Amino acid sequence: MSAFVEYLVSGIALGCGFALLASGFVAIFRVTEVINFAQGTLAVLGGFTAYSALTSAGLPQGLAEVLGVLAAGAAGLAFGWVAVGRRGTPPLASLVITLGLAVAAYAAEIAIWGDQPISYTALPGGFVLAGAHLLRQYLLVIGAALVALLALGVFFTRTYVGKGMSACASNRFAARVVGINVRRMGLFAFGLGGLLGGLAGVLLIPIQPLSFNSDVDLAISGFAAAIFGGLRSFEMALVGGLVLGVAESMVAGYAQASYETIVALGLMLLLMVWQARRRMELA
Amino acid sequence: MRALLSRRPPARAGGRAGARPGEAPRRRLDPAAAVRAGAVLAAAAGTLVLPLWLSAANLTVYILTGLYAVTAIGLSLLMGYAGQVSLGQAVFFAIGAYTAAVLSLHGIPAAAALVAAPVLAAAVAAVVGVPILRLRGHHLAFATLAFQLIVLSVISNTAFLGGGLGFTAIPALGIGGAALTSPRGYAWLVWAVTALVMVLTLNIIRSRPGRALRALATSEAAAESAGIPVVRYKLATFALSAAYAGFAGGVYVFFIGYAAPDSFPVSLSVELVVMVVIFGLGSVWGALLGAVGISVLVQVLTNVGTLPGMPEYMPTLLSYAAYGVILVLIMVFLPTGLLPAVRRLWTAAARRLGGTGGKADSSQAPAPPPAAALARSLVSFLRLSSAKGGGKPPEQTRRQ
Repeated sequence: MSAFVEYLVSGIALGCGFALLASGFVAIFRVTEVINFAQGTLAVLGGFTAYSALTSAGLPQGLAEVLGVLAAGAAGLAFGWVAVGRRGTPPLASLVITLGLAVAAYAAEIAIWGDQPISYTALPGGFVLAGAHLLRQYLLVIGAALVALLALGVFFTRTYVGKGMSACASNRFAARVVGINVRRMGLFAFGLGGLLGGLAGVLLIPIQPLSFNSDVDLAISGFAAAIFGGLRSFEMALVGGLVLGVAESMVAGYAQASYETIVALGLMLLLMVWQARRRMELA
Repeated sequence: MRALLSRRPPARAGGRAGARPGEAPRRRLDPAAAVRAGAVLAAAAGTLVLPLWLSAANLTVYILTGLYAVTAIGLSLLMGYAGQVSLGQAVFFAIGAYTAAVLSLHGIPAAAALVAAPVLAAAVAAVVGVPILRLRGHHLAFATLAFQLIVLSVISNTAFLGGGLGFTAIPALGIGGAALTSPRGYAWLVWAVTALVMVLTLNIIRSRPGRALRALATSEAAAESAGIPVVRYKLATFALSAAYAGFAGGVYVFFIGYAAPDSFPVSLSVELVVMVVIFGLGSVWGALLGAVGISVLVQVLTNVGTLPGMPEYMPTLLSYAAYGVILVLIMVFLPTGLLPAVRRLWTAAARRLGGTGGKADSSQAPAPPPAAALARSLVSFLRLSSAKGGGKPPEQTRRQ
């Protein structure tokens, strides 16, 4: 029982991280119809920046983490400027561009942080729940992710920019007709995706060390979670993240740690094929 | 598969059918075609002679380049013609390599193992392709990537397949008692296969199935309604590209003598995409040039990165920077690739110089040169798939 609680809570924490990554995909896809392959890279950049701010610059914990998130947001904005900044870049070309950006970022990350995995302790200590020993960092991840997702909801429904982005998501042409700058909204979406990715990275790096090429795993987990909501729904992305996180954690706990990728990716493939079949039947 | 392999001449492909090297008799000497044929012959001769001069290290690069070229040509057929994105093409390279390794380590003759490599790769592609090829665009891209990660993970967890450490001491390629051990022999074998694959692919493209592929890349619905068996053709192309990769993987494992999951990383798939995209998706010659160009570039960068005083990770860093920057620059500024851009410049220059010179004439002929036409079809593919990608959301919004 205590083992089960341990796997469950760590799975939920992991799932919240995936949900943040997935929300980044969703935020960008809804507005621009581009899949940002560099979403995992943004998380890695955020985590690494926080690490440097903490260890080299000696900033206080919270400030270092905020700095990491902001750096990832800036990187997201820059990636967006390259990927969708040019008028008339087709979405699939933009996907390949973000793939190129992710690979180019490898070079920068290796040059700055080296090629070894990086981690740091954010919230030390643990606590006991129903006989299970848990890290306090798990609570931080879950809390921060829920607050971020709630803030996202407020942003999209209550602010001017957020409403503009929702308008683009619902109908780009109509949004343009009423005077919304669709291209700028696309850039904002990339910046927002960067912030969300950076937050995921900052929260996850104390739990699982990240290296420059962790981005593929992070990106594909986030994408898998986003697929639950057809890449368009934040709520379903949260559900997807939690399902994936708990499933991975249970498989790693009860079966074998190395099977977790197989289960998560297999789940994603099944879901995508099922969605495609349903779409075909509807059409 | 049989449909794809049958070489049917184009019934009436248009005015430039005469440019095909196979139809030498009963046609006036077209200077452009003669130049092209000469260039191909010179390149072939150079390819044959080059191994005699290359150093051992460069010979290895030469062989790997040929193997990447074979794989890239298959990927070019899949991405550029059939319009199906694969971000996991290295998985078929891995399947071929592991098939050859496992069979030859269990006492099967190496030649038979090498034949089995592409067959198994194609079979896996044919099975996996049934569900996966229902997906389009970025869904397909992530699905192929996920498939590669799953296969690598399965290999790492299976003792029978060598686990994470992989296999060593894989015997050399050979028939009967004669073993192929000299790198020069591998070089000739690999480039002979590359030439064969080139001829096969060019024939497929110019045949009825090739035109069908281009049609379905532009619009699957339109192709379907024109009577093209879309699902079967997509699956056959996927299987054929997997067979190319599987064969290359088989030769690779016999040449290197070693196979581990780490030999076939996701970055190899990305590298293949860069090779196919850089000179122009939708040109088989472009894929060949891309494989050669990227391999040479990476080798030069590796030489620079291993100069004394460089940190240990420098070669990796430089090659990542090169792939990334090249991919981004090409996709942003020349989304159709280098070849079509050069061709456009060339045509413009010829027109300005000679008025109605032979070059300008040929560019206005009914059927434009394959590379340019196909590059154009890629652009329309990208645009249409974007329209398609955009086709789902509007549907949803309409329903809401």
